[in-house]
Amino acid sequence: MQQDEILARLTEIFRKTFDDDRLTVTHDMTAADVEAWDSLSHINLILAVERAFEIRLTTREVRAMKNVGDFVGLIAKKAA
Amino acid sequence: MSKTPHGGTGLDYFALVEEARRLPGAALDRTVRLAVVAEFSTPHLLPLLRALAARAGVLLEIYQADYDSIEAEILDASSGLHAFAPRYVAILPAAEKLKVKFYRSEDRLGFAAQMVARFTWLWAAMNSGVTIIQGNFVQPSERAFGHFELKVPESMGAVVAAVNAGLAAAARAANNVLLCDVDHIAAEIGRASWADEALWSLAKLPCRLDHLPLLAQAVVGIVLAAEGRMIKCLALDLDNTLWGGVIGDDGLAGIALGEFDEGEAFVAFQHFLKDLKNRGIILAVVSKNDMANARLPFQKHPHMVLREDDVAVFIANWDNKADNLRRLQATLNIGFDAIAFIDDNPFERDLVRQFLPDVVVPELPEDPALYIRALNAAHLFETASYSQADRERPKQYRVEAQRELAKVAFTNIEDYLASLGMKIAVERFTPFQVPRIVQLMQRSNQFNLTTQRLGAGAVAALMHDAKCLPLTVTLSDKFGDYGLISVVILRLSEAEIEIESYLMSCRVLKRGVEDFVMNEIFTLAAARGAKRVVGRYLKTAKNAMVENFYQNFGFQKDYEWSNGDSTWSLAPAAYAPRPVFMADSRVTF
Repeated sequence: MQQDEILARLTEIFRKTFDDDRLTVTHDMTAADVEAWDSLSHINLILAVERAFEIRLTTREVRAMKNVGDFVGLIAKKAA
Repeated sequence: MSKTPHGGTGLDYFALVEEARRLPGAALDRTVRLAVVAEFSTPHLLPLLRALAARAGVLLEIYQADYDSIEAEILDASSGLHAFAPRYVAILPAAEKLKVKFYRSEDRLGFAAQMVARFTWLWAAMNSGVTIIQGNFVQPSERAFGHFELKVPESMGAVVAAVNAGLAAAARAANNVLLCDVDHIAAEIGRASWADEALWSLAKLPCRLDHLPLLAQAVVGIVLAAEGRMIKCLALDLDNTLWGGVIGDDGLAGIALGEFDEGEAFVAFQHFLKDLKNRGIILAVVSKNDMANARLPFQKHPHMVLREDDVAVFIANWDNKADNLRRLQATLNIGFDAIAFIDDNPFERDLVRQFLPDVVVPELPEDPALYIRALNAAHLFETASYSQADRERPKQYRVEAQRELAKVAFTNIEDYLASLGMKIAVERFTPFQVPRIVQLMQRSNQFNLTTQRLGAGAVAALMHDAKCLPLTVTLSDKFGDYGLISVVILRLSEAEIEIESYLMSCRVLKRGVEDFVMNEIFTLAAARGAKRVVGRYLKTAKNAMVENFYQNFGFQKDYEWSNGDSTWSLAPAAYAPRPVFMADSRVTF
């Protein structure tokens, strides 16, 4: 899957999860950039991504993610 | 999307989160206070609870305890939980936490008893007026002994089973504890699919996020049942629902029922329905058939499990089913939302959903072998109590239908009432009546002036309150025994008698019971030299039936609030006693 396509689908997921239609995700975006991105919604985000891309993320992968770019990389690798 | 808490659909996690975001709040007709204390992290659970309760018109106010703070919240009388004064407390433990304690325990044989004692200790620390919803433990997947596990009493598998059995036994003995069988929910899904060990270590969630709505639904279903929102009647279609084929076309020998083909599935389904009837759910028939044809299998078919006397109301004609369900509702005097309509025909189901949106209409699959599973999946059968009165209820409703027939023979209602040979007893609460009193307070929605819902502990406390006169009314007539059908709680002071609670089963409307009771209240008021009798009407979405209750007895309205609540009073000298038609009465208080 192309990185652009992943980013576009992630934007859709982020908008729904954080209930904000103006969000556009970028590679270097972190939790600090999105007000509603807390530990609670982070779990929702992971489930939404797992469902949308039909993948399962490991505990280590979830813990190691630092920004949206890491998300995109993981999805590209796992949803091949 | 399903409007009722009973819909088997609409349990998607994200859909519910979205629904919780857009809750109307003020438009809901009842508020219930629930505290959630858990050994797992609960923030993800709370929106699901709120959304599911809102579907049933209930606004849940939730107290969320901190993560893993069950003991701190419950044992400390000055905790936030106690300050919140909840009506319900859900205590939800986590098997992961139990495992840690188990592995560290040096007394594995005594572990189950200690764990059960831990919870009964917590129960005892709650005010007895609070209803506790106790979750149990999901069986862990690891088995150190393989299939030998349960032969070893100190194995984890044996210990967790013993803890769950011990919690159930303790809950049976407690008045105010209901069980949430989380292990059963997990087993239905498959425990391997339920568990999400990664999510536990990451976020301390008890299961896969996808399954969390099932846990929320269980808790909300239990709360709603305790609040009187439950299915009381199953309205059953006949052809291809209770037997295979069409009785009018195929004849008695031609329908599929018995030990061949699909017949076996229908027999199994009828056994389940009979079990529901035995536990107090009223069975009714609503069928498009000639009456004689419809009754034939009930009378003559050797493999019918259900017989005519299992059916409280039998409607078979060619009218549309929505009209027939209206007749059924009028005969039984219960809410449409207390009726579930079971029909194999999608057209009939759709018609009923269109015209009677409050009636619960579960989907039925094509294959009758899957009927029981479908009915179970719709979560229709929550209850918060079970007593002798439940076992007798279906028969009472059946007798009631016979009374209706007898009524036709009389030209005026007084002659009819006098012919019934009614016997009434009004007495103080007795300990034996407590379960039935609690249940009647839970179930009565329509004839209920203040909709006060007390738990067993609070009811028992009233018996010893010197300022209080808590009364029950029991009634029988020549057709049968109605049992305990009304609860009236009077608060006494020197100057007045206040009617704090007044509720009655709608089965005994128009028998003059309320006239008899009001006469007694005013006799008492006069004897005590009270200046007035005071009553309140607290409006709910369901009790419009008694809006003019006090007015009809000649009370003056003292005040009416903008929400429709009102207070009323009447001096004993100004009360005009009502004629009564009781053949025998006993008043002891």
